[in-house]
Amino acid sequence: MTSTIVTRTLVKRYGQKRALDGLDLEVQAGSVHGFLGPNGAGKSTTIRILLGLARASSGEAAVFGLDPWADAGRIHKRTAYVPGDVSIWPNLTGGESIDLLTRMRGGHGASVAAEKARLMEAFEFEPRTRGRAYSKGNRQKVALIAALAVPADLYVFDEPTSGLDPLMEVTFRHEVARLRDRGATVLLSSHILSEVEHLCDAVSIIRAGRIVDSGSLAELRHLTRTQFSVDGTDVASVATLPGVSDVEVRDGRVHFTVATDSVNAALAPLGALGVRGLSVQPASLEDVFLRHYGEVQP
Amino acid sequence: MSVLVLLLRQRLRRDWRQLLMWIGGTGALAAASVSGVSQSFRTPADQSNLLITVLANPIILVFRGLPSGPGDAAVALFLILPFLALMAGFMSSFLAVRHTRAEEESGRAELVAAAGAGRFAPFVATVAHGILANLALAAVIAATFIGLGFGAEGSILSAAATGVVGVSALGVGLLAAELMPSSRAANSFAVWLLMAMYLLAGIGNAAGVADVERLRIESALPAWLSPFGWAEQSRPFADNEWWPLLLPTALAVVVILAATIVRARRDAGSSLFAERTGRADAGNMLSGVFGLAWRLNRAAIVGWAFGGLVTGALATKLASVIRDTATDNPTLERILQAITAHTDLQSAAVVVFFTMLGVLASAAAVQVIAKARQEEAHGTTELLWTSPVSRVRWLGASLTVAGIAIVGTCAAALFGATLGLASQSNPSWAVLRDAAIVSAGEAVAAAVFATLTALVLVLLPRLTIGLGWGLVMAGMLVGLFGPLFGLDRAIVDLAPIASVATIDGDAIDWQNTGLFAGVVTVGVLLALALVRRREHQPSI
Repeated sequence: MTSTIVTRTLVKRYGQKRALDGLDLEVQAGSVHGFLGPNGAGKSTTIRILLGLARASSGEAAVFGLDPWADAGRIHKRTAYVPGDVSIWPNLTGGESIDLLTRMRGGHGASVAAEKARLMEAFEFEPRTRGRAYSKGNRQKVALIAALAVPADLYVFDEPTSGLDPLMEVTFRHEVARLRDRGATVLLSSHILSEVEHLCDAVSIIRAGRIVDSGSLAELRHLTRTQFSVDGTDVASVATLPGVSDVEVRDGRVHFTVATDSVNAALAPLGALGVRGLSVQPASLEDVFLRHYGEVQP
Repeated sequence: MSVLVLLLRQRLRRDWRQLLMWIGGTGALAAASVSGVSQSFRTPADQSNLLITVLANPIILVFRGLPSGPGDAAVALFLILPFLALMAGFMSSFLAVRHTRAEEESGRAELVAAAGAGRFAPFVATVAHGILANLALAAVIAATFIGLGFGAEGSILSAAATGVVGVSALGVGLLAAELMPSSRAANSFAVWLLMAMYLLAGIGNAAGVADVERLRIESALPAWLSPFGWAEQSRPFADNEWWPLLLPTALAVVVILAATIVRARRDAGSSLFAERTGRADAGNMLSGVFGLAWRLNRAAIVGWAFGGLVTGALATKLASVIRDTATDNPTLERILQAITAHTDLQSAAVVVFFTMLGVLASAAAVQVIAKARQEEAHGTTELLWTSPVSRVRWLGASLTVAGIAIVGTCAAALFGATLGLASQSNPSWAVLRDAAIVSAGEAVAAAVFATLTALVLVLLPRLTIGLGWGLVMAGMLVGLFGPLFGLDRAIVDLAPIASVATIDGDAIDWQNTGLFAGVVTVGVLLALALVRRREHQPSI
């Protein structure tokens, strides 16, 4: 497997502040990679460096094996980008902005026009309105349609659905699935965990300018705990099971968690306790995420 | 009430630097006019000569005030009052739009209204803010004139006239903001209206009846249809009439009331003139950074070219008037020679107007580069810079469009000069050659401003707009008004618009044109080379 994006100990300083503090990110070619973190963690700064908009203070970055600062043009020829906060030209219509952007990426002719028409219908986009009259969601649609209408090898989405309604989020997921089927690489920055869980093969979690966890969703879940809730037994009996912790009683049910690699060992003794009802929830991405951001939770 | 105070303080805090520049600049202009009169037209005979010239050549009045007889103060006010009022007008209309339609456009107005300010408090705060700004401006002007030894009543009247025109322009800005769908449309509407009103007053004065004994003009009707005309009718230091100021005051009340009524009836964010929908697909032209830069700037370029056309037409028209009537007038000769360092009057008149053209062409070009910075601050360049188009081509596109703006403005001026000549019974076509040479020089001067602004855009992007326009303003004040106000020639020569090609008889003096062409070449190459090494810098 080759990597489309690789960074090594990437640092970006703005004055005294370190926006990136030794970031190591790796995105496999052909994968949909989730880039997770709250606002201000450094997601957009990373993307800006990968696209050659900003220059790293130190460390290395490579996209398609090229240095994004020196070879931005060659990277841009193979990349489509949707910024987090899309600005469009106030006196151009949405349709004109889309055409301008696709043409600048070399998209001409009937196939692009057909793809534009298909996407405008899928995203229910009205192209005749002037840019200044569009809502955030509609500005985002301009950038999304322009990015998706011309084929690229790498797609970089920075919180692409933050202004879209749930129906349009579904449309977006559908489009990302098409990209994956075509073999394109996708870097999807987001703080919407369900979106990442639905779409991504692998995830990197960023915190204060560093990657704190990275891997496939299965690998990440493995590191966390599975949640159980049972009826018809008591706290004392549950506490004897292997790998158990966080035992508590709520609404007459006993709730506890089991280390994910001890689940099998815990199941047989649990059956012997004579439980009447049982529900098991695998570790969610939210659990993974909160484990890294636990201290900021109330 | 406390909400109102809070909103007013927020406005003052946001604007004070900008207002300080407007008010300080206008005060400096007032002071410069006084020292100009005391240096160039010191004796009563000089002043009489100046006024006789003006009465004989009414076209000069299109750009000046209303002659009201001799005297240092009265002559200074004749030269400067409409400029002061125009500055107050621009300051006020921009202020009005900035705090109303622009805020609605950005969505901040909604935030503020929902946070307890309601629908009217922000509007009332803007009116109060605008009135305060004009009060401050008037106070500075009054203090300037009194401080330089002019009479108190005339000084205060001049200041009041300026301030009242400012407040009526505030009303015009507020009404435009209510009617127009965007701040850009509201600002252009207000600017065009103010310019038209300014010209209307000038035409009214030019078409008025000259009183040769008292060296004054009784204005014709058009001057009575313009706030600038009303301000001039107060004739400070000559008649000291206060009642004409009732007219702009009444206009201010009416337009502010009209704006209030529209505001009471419309939804937040809506407008009387709705935004038109446009085409669903882009035209062939809009397929790259050049097409985009052209599209974003073409309307402004057409506006500047129109200004060039008018300037060119007036230049040849005025030159012929001078040739016909004033060849042996020593005062006019002296004014024109001071500005142009020339002896031939007809060419001198053309040079004066084409120096003005240099200002227009510079402004047209700097606006294109400033637009590129606005795009970057706004964030749209993020989409361009991540496309395969390189930054060098991005900057190159803006520089090319700036060049088109310069050439277009100068070509329009030459066309206007041709029209001005063609309208005469006995045209002297040789003047056109002079105009062509001078406008070629001014094109180089304008390119200097565009190049410097582009360098600032590359090296210190956040200062682009302020420094770019500041350089043009400084160049204009030094190059255009410097000679009139007795500034040293060595300093005046620093202003590119004043030290490119001029004509003296058959001889062409290229002055620093070659040097400036070199500056442009090196500067453009440097800017294009350095933009590769520059980060994208939206406003943070």
